[in-house]
Amino acid sequence: MTTQPLTPTPDAALDAAFEALKTYNWGASRKLVQPIQDAVTTSSGNADARKALEARLTAVLKTDASRDAKDVACRHLRTIGTAASIPTLAGLLGDPKLSHMARFALERIDDPAAGATLRSALSKASGAIRAGIIGSLGARGDSAAVPAMIAALGESDARVVAAAATALGSIAAPQAAGALAAAAKKGPAAAKIAVIDGALRAAEQLAEAGKKAEAGVIQKALSGDDMPEHVRNAAGLKA
Amino acid sequence: MTQRKQGTSRRKFLKGSAAAVAAPYFITSTALGGGGRAPASERIVMGAIGLGSRGRGDLGAFLRRGDVQVAAVCDVRKGARDGEKSKVDRHYKSKDCKSYNDFREILTRSDIDAVLIATPDHWHSILVIEACRHGKDVYCEKPESLTLAEGPKMVAAARRYGRVVSGGSQRVAGDYRGVVNKCWGGQVGQVKSINVNVGPLSQPCNLPEEKVPDSMDWDLWLGPAPWAPYNSKRCSGSYRTNGDSWRSYLDYSGGGMTDWGAHHFGGATFAVDVRELQPQEVTYHNDGGKQHLTFTYPNGMIITHNRPGKGNLHVEGTPGEKKEPKPAPGYAPGAGNIYGDFISCVKSRGKPFRDIEYAINTMAVCHLGIVAYELKRSLKWDVKAQQFIGDAEANRFLDRARREPWVI
Repeated sequence: MTTQPLTPTPDAALDAAFEALKTYNWGASRKLVQPIQDAVTTSSGNADARKALEARLTAVLKTDASRDAKDVACRHLRTIGTAASIPTLAGLLGDPKLSHMARFALERIDDPAAGATLRSALSKASGAIRAGIIGSLGARGDSAAVPAMIAALGESDARVVAAAATALGSIAAPQAAGALAAAAKKGPAAAKIAVIDGALRAAEQLAEAGKKAEAGVIQKALSGDDMPEHVRNAAGLKA
Repeated sequence: MTQRKQGTSRRKFLKGSAAAVAAPYFITSTALGGGGRAPASERIVMGAIGLGSRGRGDLGAFLRRGDVQVAAVCDVRKGARDGEKSKVDRHYKSKDCKSYNDFREILTRSDIDAVLIATPDHWHSILVIEACRHGKDVYCEKPESLTLAEGPKMVAAARRYGRVVSGGSQRVAGDYRGVVNKCWGGQVGQVKSINVNVGPLSQPCNLPEEKVPDSMDWDLWLGPAPWAPYNSKRCSGSYRTNGDSWRSYLDYSGGGMTDWGAHHFGGATFAVDVRELQPQEVTYHNDGGKQHLTFTYPNGMIITHNRPGKGNLHVEGTPGEKKEPKPAPGYAPGAGNIYGDFISCVKSRGKPFRDIEYAINTMAVCHLGIVAYELKRSLKWDVKAQQFIGDAEANRFLDRARREPWVI
């Protein structure tokens, strides 16, 4: 390996960048905040520097800085965020303008508290935000969220149902197979194809786990004349 | 797609077309296969999603095929979709082509067999997966993916539904034949390595807000990408990566590293015969400020990126040694080009030259390189687990949260 030590970002440059971030908005030169990106890169492996940087980024999220400035902070917390920034990010999850960027950070923070925070927010969220939170839990493979996702399959918002079905497929939750197969026949029309996909994935996971009889039940449910032909074929391929 | 499915869908389209709605007396010669065209019942019915400069070029290539019927076009810009609908209608001398703002309206049409996807890159994985879920075959422009995590999901969707999914680099088989023939023909002996020169990486975007044109669905253009104000350069389809196009910006593209990388790394992996593999290690070099990479494959093959002093697709082998030539794969017989290869495979259910799995293996090289450059360090890649080994920070770069409500 030829990786070499990186030169730390000068304190003065970093101070100036955080000062600029207070009034940063779309149209401003990116060079103003580039030292923050440099510090993120060069502080890798330096726990103290990372801790200080995380604290400064998290502090931005508590101010009345612009949406753009908070967007910048969340992007960097995606890389360096820890349990320390999770409470602040949690406070943004219900904000329609910032929920996504809060998830942008939270989804990639490998700390159980991030998953717990997303699950907690899920119980209060609705509509697109709820769908987004489910998507992030799916991306994290959060198996503790499976019961809530199974329950979400019964909701009326197609975005939520589709997100839940997709997430269940990603998490590898064969226990959701029955609920997915049932939802494929009665859920919102706009989510039907996503639910079917989730059910097929669950059947694949059951089969891979050696539970071929259980997989067969799902495949049979997806092989009826009420299913699109390509779905019947897909179910048949796995039978 | 089964033969039954193809037959059903084409019959539906024929029923829906102006020619077929009328009595048989009015069936046109092209509906019956005249004028060098296949009979309508044997044509592949396609929809086109994303009608920028590349999409228009792809659409034109499919339009020129007598065995394809373009039945729908889609773009979030009204001017673009109206213009292409007019072009398609002029071509067929009909008014049958439907235009849509929202791709979901194309995917739910049961008469559409296949879709062309030529949107900006941040939409590719969602569209490919959704198209497969709806039973469509797919021709997806390169770069096929935006993140490492997207690729396996795209491949899995294609396989789950038995779809033909072709990536969209016309250059891999079309432009790099010289180096491919040299390697596969044994002229360089035992191939050791190949170099790719391409770049730069994409950058964050902070362009100022401009008024959203009335004719544009800006929210749907952004789709899964972080919200940002409209700016004409942010969404321009210019091929430049200097800040004047979406290809410049990391929310939508990997920059030159993926845009040209999809071509060049695709050519390199083809030439040295590692299309079915992914690297297991990427070594970051910084020689006096000159950054470059070495990708090492499980079979020992080396691909370098921007290696100092080496030209693009420069191959190193064992000088003076000749190896037994082996036949290089190519497009389906008689296909002629990548569009013909795709259509041929849609009909035969064969594997296209740039099958989605090969495309994703190529994109993995590009994405691994981007992460190594971002972190400025060497990385080990667990191909099976699709994770970096012993590097939690690098694993944060595997994917990005998508803006609600988009998920894959």
